[in-house]
Amino acid sequence: MENEIRPPRRYKRSKLPKLVRWIFGLIVLSYFFWRLYTVIIVQNEYTPDIWVRLLISGLVIGGVYSLIAIGYTLVYGILRMINFAHGEVMMIGTFAGYFVFEATNAIRFTSSTGEITSLSNAQPFLSILLAFIVGMTVAATSGFLLEKIAYRPLRKAPRLIPLISAIGASIFLQNLAQLLFSPLVRDYKNPDLIARGQGWAITVAGARLTIPYTGVLTFSLSIILMFALYTMVRKSKLGKSMRAVAADKSTAALMGIDVNGVISQTFIISGMLAGAAGVMWGLHNGLVYYYVGFLPGIKAFTSAVLGGIGNIPGAMLGGMLLGMIESIGPTALGISYQLKDVLAFVILIIILIFRPSGILGEVLSEEKV
Amino acid sequence: MNKKLVSPSLKRGLTFGIVMIIFVLIDLDVMVATMLSKLFGANVIRGSLPDVGFMVLFLILFGMFVGWSTSSDDAKPTTKLFQALVAGLTLGVVLGLFDLILNQLIVTGTDVRKYLAALAPESIRLFLFDQGAISPLLHLGLFTVASLLGSLMKILLKSESASRFFKGVKSGYQGLQAKAQANTPNWVKKYGKFLLFLLIGLLAFFLPRIWGSYNNYVVGLVGLYVILGIGLNIIVGLSGQLMLGFAAFFAMGAYSVALLNAPLPHGIMLGFWPSLLIGILMAVVAAVLLGLPVMGMRGDYLAIVTLGFGEIIRILLKSDLLTSFTGGPRGIQDIRGPTLFGQSFSSDIDYTYIILVVMVLSIFIYKRLERSRTGRAWLAVKEDTKVAQATGVNIMTNKLLALCLGAAFAGLAGGIFAARNQFTGPNDHQLMVSMNILSILIVGGVNSIPGIILGAFTLKGLPEILREIENYRLLVFGGLLVVMMISRPEGLWPATRPNIEKDEGNKLKEDGAPGKGGLND
Repeated sequence: MENEIRPPRRYKRSKLPKLVRWIFGLIVLSYFFWRLYTVIIVQNEYTPDIWVRLLISGLVIGGVYSLIAIGYTLVYGILRMINFAHGEVMMIGTFAGYFVFEATNAIRFTSSTGEITSLSNAQPFLSILLAFIVGMTVAATSGFLLEKIAYRPLRKAPRLIPLISAIGASIFLQNLAQLLFSPLVRDYKNPDLIARGQGWAITVAGARLTIPYTGVLTFSLSIILMFALYTMVRKSKLGKSMRAVAADKSTAALMGIDVNGVISQTFIISGMLAGAAGVMWGLHNGLVYYYVGFLPGIKAFTSAVLGGIGNIPGAMLGGMLLGMIESIGPTALGISYQLKDVLAFVILIIILIFRPSGILGEVLSEEKV
Repeated sequence: MNKKLVSPSLKRGLTFGIVMIIFVLIDLDVMVATMLSKLFGANVIRGSLPDVGFMVLFLILFGMFVGWSTSSDDAKPTTKLFQALVAGLTLGVVLGLFDLILNQLIVTGTDVRKYLAALAPESIRLFLFDQGAISPLLHLGLFTVASLLGSLMKILLKSESASRFFKGVKSGYQGLQAKAQANTPNWVKKYGKFLLFLLIGLLAFFLPRIWGSYNNYVVGLVGLYVILGIGLNIIVGLSGQLMLGFAAFFAMGAYSVALLNAPLPHGIMLGFWPSLLIGILMAVVAAVLLGLPVMGMRGDYLAIVTLGFGEIIRILLKSDLLTSFTGGPRGIQDIRGPTLFGQSFSSDIDYTYIILVVMVLSIFIYKRLERSRTGRAWLAVKEDTKVAQATGVNIMTNKLLALCLGAAFAGLAGGIFAARNQFTGPNDHQLMVSMNILSILIVGGVNSIPGIILGAFTLKGLPEILREIENYRLLVFGGLLVVMMISRPEGLWPATRPNIEKDEGNKLKEDGAPGKGGLND
């Protein structure tokens, strides 16, 4: 019979990819554990002081990553876009801080004791404060302008388009900085109070090691900033409107929230955090050039995804975790330090395999895309 | 003349003032003046400065552009002139203040090049027309007049009589065209397309022999990027997966050809063609290995994971761990080129042939794929995953297939690339390569072959030809991407729907729904 109704072909959803994913993840995980076991238990050639040193550097880098990652997460939560140029905003902040320190270092006068000192050494706190304020302001301004010029006209466009625009802005800013300030790698001039490489000496298991002043400054400041931001988002009116806009733009607009204003303010806040992170990066690592924002930017984005993009505590956690993985991981697994970036990305893939929405998941907005 | 009129013009003048200041700070003004002088046939030796007249010309053109863009379209002529006047004056005042600073630098002989690398005293002098203290006034006058001129031009060109004139010209042209069409003999209509292709084929055969190795190099580069663009288009444009690590597959192909065809580090010398096949295969294997674990992820996560994958491959190629196997950061040298019928086939002309043939083949394969059942399934997955699944499209298989096919194109291009350069190293496969390919797609037009060719030419060919702007090309490129996305997001040469869906597509477009060329997830 030609007109016979055939039963519809059944399409069963294949379990294979999920299975492969799990097997892949388990293999890599068990490899990690095996390496950890061999390095720490079997070989056991590292003394506790080495671990403490790595931990300290991990925490410091992690703090910087967290600050930048928050910027990614805030923007993603509200606009659902990857602000690819965020690393460049950080780079601009680093340069601003650099120029402040150059300026304060150039102003020299005779102090009461008769020595010739520069402003940055005579008033270290003032100059550091100034550097952070200027760095944060400049970075916030550039974040604001970035949104206004490159993203706002694309608010209604499909999602790939703002991403390309962001990539373009990132390339543009990088090359602008290169043309303006030359591709030279410059040295940050820290005030003597927080000179690089100096710090408090402590003794761990009989070995002396230093906790760098710049590291302490970076870590504590990033914790303070993160706490301030978190309180702001939870408690303040702006934070409330930010969450509202993240949840639903049109409803938020109906409730009398100035959506464009809130988005602008989000970019300003994320720019401020990136600027602070930039100055910290300069103070701690001491190098500033046009490419300085790129890798931290990518890493920070990775950490934002790691913690669950759109989730502020997730970004903080992800940043800290990525910093630790990068600094402790290569030693703990007994692999070359060159491969720390590979390790970071592999961890990211593993986490995404087992928890596709990041460690803490998306909280800022419930909307699924 | 109320406040509403003044403040946008003021703002515009201010913005353009800042833009001009940045131009001066990065020495772009001198570069443009040099280009202008070349345009007028003046011979400028590299490193020397152009004539002052060309700087004046550039500033006048800039001022005219400001005037043109400030005068709003629907305003009265007097209003337009007023707007232009305000903008020009603001621009002049901003730059006048800036001139004062610059002049101070010249007078005191301060060298700021330690911080602002491009601000050489000679180029400052050129910008100030070498007039010292009165140059702010000169600039003020120049910009005001130029802005007014620009506005006048707009008034004249957009006036009734002008538009009537243009319409007349257009209709005359169309009439001529219709006449020509009516007069063409039948055989031209029948075989015209065939003849055109034949002509292009002949040109493609003879031109590489004539136009020298540099042009061959540029054409080859553009062709390779067209192949890469087609590959990425299958992944991003057809199946809708945002991929940021495409260079990894490119690296697979390049390194396969390199390792199997270079004396160091292994000296296998397998020959170009088999190793190219292996390269394609390796790229596909890499795609499967990447695709299986990550395929179920949502758009942005997929983007970052693929980006991470690209970086992993590059770092691994560079690392000490694999130095003995892949040559480490120094890469692989002296890659042997292809042979054909026992003869060496690796001059730059031959590579141009290979690339052109492969390119045409890729385009053919792409066209077939796009209209096939699989191609339509990809589009369905891209437009709406759930509906596609409900209609019986297997999401996983289709996505993975797209990834593998795209990777195969990348491996192909990578293999030819490595053999052509006779070298490949980790720096050939940076993140910027992936970004460039993606940008080619976006600038040219997703899912549009002419668009991809045009995009590859714009982004890879033009910068090679315009060597003068070498320092500025990435800057211009980045700015161009942003401007393109704002003003023409569908690309330079947007795709049209394939024939089957043509009528429906047009109808959809009228309703404001997105066409196939869009980038909707």
